[in-house]
Amino acid sequence: MLSSPDALVTPAGEPSRLSSPAETLLGVRGITKRFGGVVALDGVDLTLARGRVLGLLGANGSGKSTLSRIIAGEVVPDGGTMEMAGAPLSHASPQAAARRGIIIAHQHPSLAPDMPVWENIFLGAEICAPGGFINRGEARRRATGILAELGSTMDIGQPAGVLTAAGQQLVEIARALARSPRLLILDEPTAALAGAEVAKLFAAIRRLTAKGIGVIFISHRLGEIGAICDDILVMRNGRTAGAWTTSGRLDEARILSLMTGDPDAVLRPMAARALGDTILKLQGLRAGSAVRGVDLELRRGEIVGLAGLQGQGQAELLEVIAGHRRIDGGTLWHRDRAVTPSLPRDMIRRGVCLVPDDRLRQGLFSGESVGENLGYVKIALAKRPWTLPLAELGQLAAATIRRLLIKTEGPEQLVSALSGGNQQKVVIGKWLATDIEVLLLSDPTKGVDIHARSEIYAIIGELAAAGTTALIFASEIQELLLHCDRILVMYEGRIVGNLSGAAMTEPRIMAAAFGRASEGADA
Amino acid sequence: MRALRHAGVIPSLLMLVVVLALNARLQHHFFSMLSFEDNVSTFTPTILICLAQAIIVLSRELDLSLGAGVSLINCFLATVPASAVGGPWALMGLALLLALALGAINGLIVTVFGLPSLIATFATGAVWYGLALTMVPQPGGTIDETIGNVYSDTVFHIPVPLLIVLAAMLIWTVIGRHRLGRRIVAVGSNPVAAFQAGIPVAGVKFIAYLVGWLLVGLGAIAISAQTLSGDAGVGTAYTLTSVAAVVIGGISLAGGRGTPWGALVGALVLGIVANVIYFAGIPSIWQEFFKGLVIVAALGFMVIEQRRTAIA
Repeated sequence: MLSSPDALVTPAGEPSRLSSPAETLLGVRGITKRFGGVVALDGVDLTLARGRVLGLLGANGSGKSTLSRIIAGEVVPDGGTMEMAGAPLSHASPQAAARRGIIIAHQHPSLAPDMPVWENIFLGAEICAPGGFINRGEARRRATGILAELGSTMDIGQPAGVLTAAGQQLVEIARALARSPRLLILDEPTAALAGAEVAKLFAAIRRLTAKGIGVIFISHRLGEIGAICDDILVMRNGRTAGAWTTSGRLDEARILSLMTGDPDAVLRPMAARALGDTILKLQGLRAGSAVRGVDLELRRGEIVGLAGLQGQGQAELLEVIAGHRRIDGGTLWHRDRAVTPSLPRDMIRRGVCLVPDDRLRQGLFSGESVGENLGYVKIALAKRPWTLPLAELGQLAAATIRRLLIKTEGPEQLVSALSGGNQQKVVIGKWLATDIEVLLLSDPTKGVDIHARSEIYAIIGELAAAGTTALIFASEIQELLLHCDRILVMYEGRIVGNLSGAAMTEPRIMAAAFGRASEGADA
Repeated sequence: MRALRHAGVIPSLLMLVVVLALNARLQHHFFSMLSFEDNVSTFTPTILICLAQAIIVLSRELDLSLGAGVSLINCFLATVPASAVGGPWALMGLALLLALALGAINGLIVTVFGLPSLIATFATGAVWYGLALTMVPQPGGTIDETIGNVYSDTVFHIPVPLLIVLAAMLIWTVIGRHRLGRRIVAVGSNPVAAFQAGIPVAGVKFIAYLVGWLLVGLGAIAISAQTLSGDAGVGTAYTLTSVAAVVIGGISLAGGRGTPWGALVGALVLGIVANVIYFAGIPSIWQEFFKGLVIVAALGFMVIEQRRTAIA
């Protein structure tokens, strides 16, 4: 492209525009970011040209969201440089990023639940008459228009708090579009959307790129990446693992091997394992509005995945089984006995233990040491609670640290100083003080790097080999496919799919997750 | 009706009707103009201070120093002679500036230093009260009579206190349609969403404190106009009243949900309850006791009612 005379006089040393096929919109060089002891980004490079869609891929915790939040000014990087349309970008606030035209639509929409949809769309960028009075008519009209572009006819007067996950996602995207971005970041925009809504979104993206707007598109759905993206960037462990132009065809094998860093991991089949008797059985179990009649059966030594879209009752189901929530109806059988736990300890005594969703707040005493965290289950279950067998607790902690390969300076180290993966090992390790029959894990690899992730699954596998049953809710389907004997799919508080063997594929799980019951027949 | 239900004020309106009926029964000539004027001038400070708390609560903060602030402003009015500052109007202006300064201090402590408002304003309240005590160690002193006369005057046959309440409600309504008011609600409804939407969260909360304390200043002047003397304990009860009125008025203590009308209704309920207790002939030493009981009962009723409607 020699259209611009400036290109010919670019001083030496600067990247010449002659070499790039289109004008660069965003250039990111060597961005680093640490959160406490965890390295989130370890020198990432990213280049985005005007009018193109860049697919940003990577396993959970590979740093995609952190990178996009840094570009959007919500997180301040520790190092590295950014350039937008040739001018350096150094902003520390979303406002500053928005002034440069960088707008992000988050994976987990953050809306003001008490305010109507139309106000949420223009939150912080209110449409005002002179003097700052809100021009409701104009704002409502524009909100309706933007939502219509996305194919939604929702009532814009209803409070955002009553919307479904899909509705909230659409409002979040509409909010980004309302700000006329020059660079739009879409962080898993389709996670909660159905097929028709995705098609409308893609049409909207195409209209933007036709105007020269650059889009960063984050998704786990390879089909969507292939359909909308011009360029691909794969991240792994906070680094750029690979970047290329798709030229119409998506090299899925290359993406998967770059994501996992282990070409064989994707293909490795689950070794068939012998399963024991039924250990836990749920019949029509109901609790609150999240769990609406769940039937399932778990056998000894089985590793079962719990999949589904976000917020279909997976986390709540695990909490009900663990005795954290009251059962409103149905039966929970443990071996051949119907139980109605009223407290977590009722289930812990039966060997049913929960590794909760939020490890620092629910799973650990974050102000205590590794050793203390590993010991308190033993103390809580002690037959003579007035004694404190310090020597025994010390041995237990040391043994658990060795067995689970917990990376720590020692039992005295504060648990909050460990990396996410090692913290999670402590959460699992504390239960080793008792005989675990059923281990319930709620998103156990959230914010955990890929190496620790495989270690956590190795621990689960080892426990299963010894007869422990694991029920794992994870937001990553690939992860479940790799490590589970069987996958249950939840939709609106019920189990709608039970897939195993050859039927255990991502498309089938996704179909069931969207409530398309034909795929969800018992395998 | 739908709007009322959404605002969560139906149970509090019900309560208002009950206490109004009780009051009408107990207070002689309740429906006379004189009683009306009397009641309005009694309720005005309560209403203003409850509206102030409501604005601050909407932004997901709290201010437990409002009552002590009222005392401090009252003692300021009783200590500084109007002639020394250029007349009673100037004195009232200074009182409002003092109120804004107190609000600015609370706002800074909460937004810039990030202290939790629950305990931080409880502590600044102790400071305000301590200052008030040094100014007026024993109840007494006099306040310029002009202030009292202005307050009991009428403009176009409308009593001044009623005008003040109307003005305060008008300010609220105007702010509610302005970007600023909606940002206060947004910050209270979900601070993370507000931050991500580029709203300066700390600045908005700070302004909520300033607007609230302007109303506190007006309320303190109204009280002083009635008593015409200084008393470091005159405002104490208003802190509890303001928080209770906010809850009774259906304004969520978690921020973001509620209307000025709710605060108005809550303030009226509590004002009338005080009236009822007074006119029921309960000995004065027992009045606080019964007021406390009624507030607990009213809060319980609201919470049960909100839980019921949340499930339905």
